[in-house]
Amino acid sequence: MLHVSLFKRNIMNINIKDLRFAYPTGLEALKGINLAIDSGEQVAIVGQNGAGKTTLVRHFNGLLKPASGSVSIGDWDTTKYSVAKLASRVGYVFQNPDEQLFSRDVLTEVSFGPRNLGYEKTKVDELVKRALALTELSEKTGTNPYDLSPTWRKMVALASIIAMDTPIVIFDEPTTGQDAMNVARIANVIAVLKREGKTVITITHDIDFCAENFERVIALADGRVLLDGPAREVLGEEETLAQTYVEPPQLTRLGKKLGLKEIVTTQEEFIKAVVQD
Amino acid sequence: MHERLSFHIKRDSVLHRLNPLTKLVLTLALIFLAFTFPWYWMPHLLILIAVIPLSLLGKVFREFWLTALKLILPAAGFLFLMQAFFQPIGTDVIFKFYFLDITSESLMFAFKNAMRVFVMVSAFTLFLLTTHPSELMSDLTRRGLPGQFAYVIISTLQIIPQMQAKAQTIISAQRSRGLDTESTFFKRAGSVLPLVGPLVFGSLVEVEERAIAIEARGFTSKHAKTSLHEIPDSDFDKILRWILFALIVFSIGLNLWLS
Amino acid sequence: MAFVNLQNLAYKYPLTKTNALENINLQVREGEFVAVIGPNGAGKSTLCYALAGFVPHFFKGEISGEIEVDGRKSGESTLDEWVLNVGLAFQNPFNQISGAKYTVFEEIAFGLENIGVPRDEMKTRVEEAMSLTGISDLADRSPYSLSGGQQQRVALTSILVMRPRLLVLDEPTSQMDPIGTREVFGVVRRMAEEGMTVVMVEHKMEWIAHFADRVIALKEGQIFLEGTPGDVLTSDVLIENGFGISRYTSVAREAKKQGLWKKEKLPVTLDEAVEGFK
Repeated sequence: MLHVSLFKRNIMNINIKDLRFAYPTGLEALKGINLAIDSGEQVAIVGQNGAGKTTLVRHFNGLLKPASGSVSIGDWDTTKYSVAKLASRVGYVFQNPDEQLFSRDVLTEVSFGPRNLGYEKTKVDELVKRALALTELSEKTGTNPYDLSPTWRKMVALASIIAMDTPIVIFDEPTTGQDAMNVARIANVIAVLKREGKTVITITHDIDFCAENFERVIALADGRVLLDGPAREVLGEEETLAQTYVEPPQLTRLGKKLGLKEIVTTQEEFIKAVVQD
Repeated sequence: MHERLSFHIKRDSVLHRLNPLTKLVLTLALIFLAFTFPWYWMPHLLILIAVIPLSLLGKVFREFWLTALKLILPAAGFLFLMQAFFQPIGTDVIFKFYFLDITSESLMFAFKNAMRVFVMVSAFTLFLLTTHPSELMSDLTRRGLPGQFAYVIISTLQIIPQMQAKAQTIISAQRSRGLDTESTFFKRAGSVLPLVGPLVFGSLVEVEERAIAIEARGFTSKHAKTSLHEIPDSDFDKILRWILFALIVFSIGLNLWLS
Repeated sequence: MAFVNLQNLAYKYPLTKTNALENINLQVREGEFVAVIGPNGAGKSTLCYALAGFVPHFFKGEISGEIEVDGRKSGESTLDEWVLNVGLAFQNPFNQISGAKYTVFEEIAFGLENIGVPRDEMKTRVEEAMSLTGISDLADRSPYSLSGGQQQRVALTSILVMRPRLLVLDEPTSQMDPIGTREVFGVVRRMAEEGMTVVMVEHKMEWIAHFADRVIALKEGQIFLEGTPGDVLTSDVLIENGFGISRYTSVAREAKKQGLWKKEKLPVTLDEAVEGFK
C-alpha cells in the first residue's frame, strides 16, 4: 500500500517551468512562474485582485496553455492533452457554482463528471455516494440544484468535482460569500481529501482559513511568485505580503504584537506559544 | 478579461465631431441612395465619392479597410456568386458550370447587388467606428427617445460580448468536468444542455439584479437627465441633415416616379 | 427620532410559504454604522432590499409594519424617489455594471446623469468619489475588464457618488483582497463620520468589530441579537448558533478555559486581544 502511494506521489507532481501567459487584450498575466507541487500537498494561493491566481490555476488543467514555458501534470505536458483528458487528473471547482450546474437533480449533476471520465457504473455510483456524503448532500439527491440556496449549490459544485476522484483538486475561492457553518463544511472536505492523499490547491482571500487548512502558501504579485513556502513562514512576512494586499492571519498579527518568539498561525500554535512564554 | 463590443475608435476628426444623429442620417442616406436611386452605377459611385473619402475624413481608413476585408468583402463576394449563378435572367450565356449558366445580365445584376450591400455595411461600419454609442443614445434621448428604449439598445451591444464571455466560462467549467467538446458531432449534441442550462439560469438572475442596480442609481428618476459628455450639434449639422434628408426623399421619389 | 425606523416589519416574497423577515424592530440614528451578520438564508439581503425600497416596491409580496427613513415612509413613497435618499450596493459586482457605459468614469457618472446633475458638478463628484475608494487609476478602463474585487469597488463608488443619506451594503467586499477589504471598511467608516448612515451586511468579523458601531445578528428572518460589537460578537449564544466569530474571540475563549485569559470580557479586536494577553 505504502509502495503504491509513493509511486503515485511521484507521478502526480505538478511542474511549472518559466510559465508566461498574456491575454489577447495584451495584458501580461503571468511573467515567469516556476513551481513544483508534490502529490498530496495542501497549497493555498493568495494575492491581490488581478495578481494572476486564477490565470495560474487554469494552466493546471489545460484551460489555458502557456505562451512560453511548460506545465506538466505527472508525465503529461498540458499542451499535449485536451482539457477533457486532463480532467481525469485535475478536478477544478469554479468560483461560481451557477456557471456549472445544469441537471434536474443533484444526483445526476454529481454523476456527470465521473461518467464523463468513463468509469464503470458501479464505480460511478460509489464515488457519487461518497462525494454526496462528504458534502452533506445525501438527503438532497433528488432536489433540483436551482431549488437549493446558493450555499448548498456551492456544495453541489464541490461534490460534482470530488466525485471525479482526481488526484489533484483545485478550488477557486471556495469560501467567498459563505457563512461560518459552510466554511467549516468546506474545511472538512479539504481535510478528508488530504487524508486520502490528494493534492489540494486553493485560491483564497480568506487568510485565516488559509492558515488553518493549508501547509504551504504561495503568494502571487503581479504575475510572479512573491513568496512560497510553509504557511507559517510565508504568512509571517507581513511587509512582503502587504505588497500584494495580503495581511497575515489575525493570530499571527496578535502573536507579533505580543512579542511571541515564534510565528504562530493557528489557535493551537498560539496557545502553545503563550504557555511557553 | 473581456473587452467591450464596440467598434468606436477615439480620434479627433471632422467625422467624429459631427452630431451622432447627423451621422445616423448620413448612414441612412447612403443606404437609401444605393438601393433606391434608379441608376445602375450609383452604388459604385457612392463607394468612390462617399465611402472612401469618408473613411479618410474620419481618420479611420486603416481600421475601416481591415474590417472591410475581413467582414464586408467576403459577404459581398458570397452574395455576388449566389446571385450570379442562381439569378434566372438574361440569355447571353458567357460561362457554363455544369447545369448552371452565367449570363451577362445576371453578372451585372449580381455585381450591383453586391455593391449595394457593400455600401450598406460600409456606411454602418463607418458610423460605428466614429460614433460613441453612449453619445448616440444620449443624443437620441435628449431628442425624445424614451430612456428605457435607449438603454435596451446600448446595453444589448455590451451584453452580447458578456454573454459570450460567460458562455466561455461555462464551457471551461464543463470541460473541466471531462466534457469533451472537441470530439465528434454526436457527442457535441449531447453537450448542449450542460452549456445552455447555466447560461439561461444565469441570465434570469442577472436581469433581475441588473434591474435593481440601475434602479438604485436613479434610472427611472423623473428628473431631466443630463449627460457626462457634451454632444456637438452645430448649425452645419442641422443643414447637413436637411440636405441628406432631401436626398433620400429625392431618391425614393425618383424611384417611384420611374417605376 | 431615529433616522431609520423599522416597526414590526414582516415580509413574505411572492410564491413562498414562510416569511423572509418577521417582527423586525430596528432604530438607527443618523451617522451610525450598523453591521448585519447572520448565516446564509437569515434574511440579511431581504433586510437590505427593504431599507432600499425594493421590498416591496420591486419584489411585491406581502408586507406589514413600517419602514421609515428620514421621517418618510417607504409605503407612501415611490421607488424612484426613495433611491435618492437610500443607496444600495450588493454582492455580485458583475450584475451591478449598468452595461450602458464604456469606461469606469462613465459608469460612475451614470447615476448622476439619471438624476440630472449638471456636467461640471458631475465630473468633480465622480473624481472625488473615485479618489475616495482608490480607483482613480481605473477611470478609462472598461468596467467589464476588471477583476471581481475591482468591480466591487466600482459598484460601491457608483453608489457613494450619489451621496445617499442612508447607505445599504450587502457583502460589498466578498471578492476583495484582504487589505482592499480593510480599506473599504475604512472608507465606509469615514462616510459614517461625515454623517452618512450605514447598514452593511458582512461576514468579516474582525473588521466589523473594528469599524462598526453596532451589530445586528439575524437568524431565520428575525433579529436574534443586537448591541455593540463587543457584546454581540462575544456572546455564547451567538457561537452556539453557528455564527462566525473573530479569531481573537475564539482563541481567548479557549485560553480562558485554560486560565490563560484573565479578563471577564472576551476580545473582538486586535487591540483588545493584545491588551488582555499582555
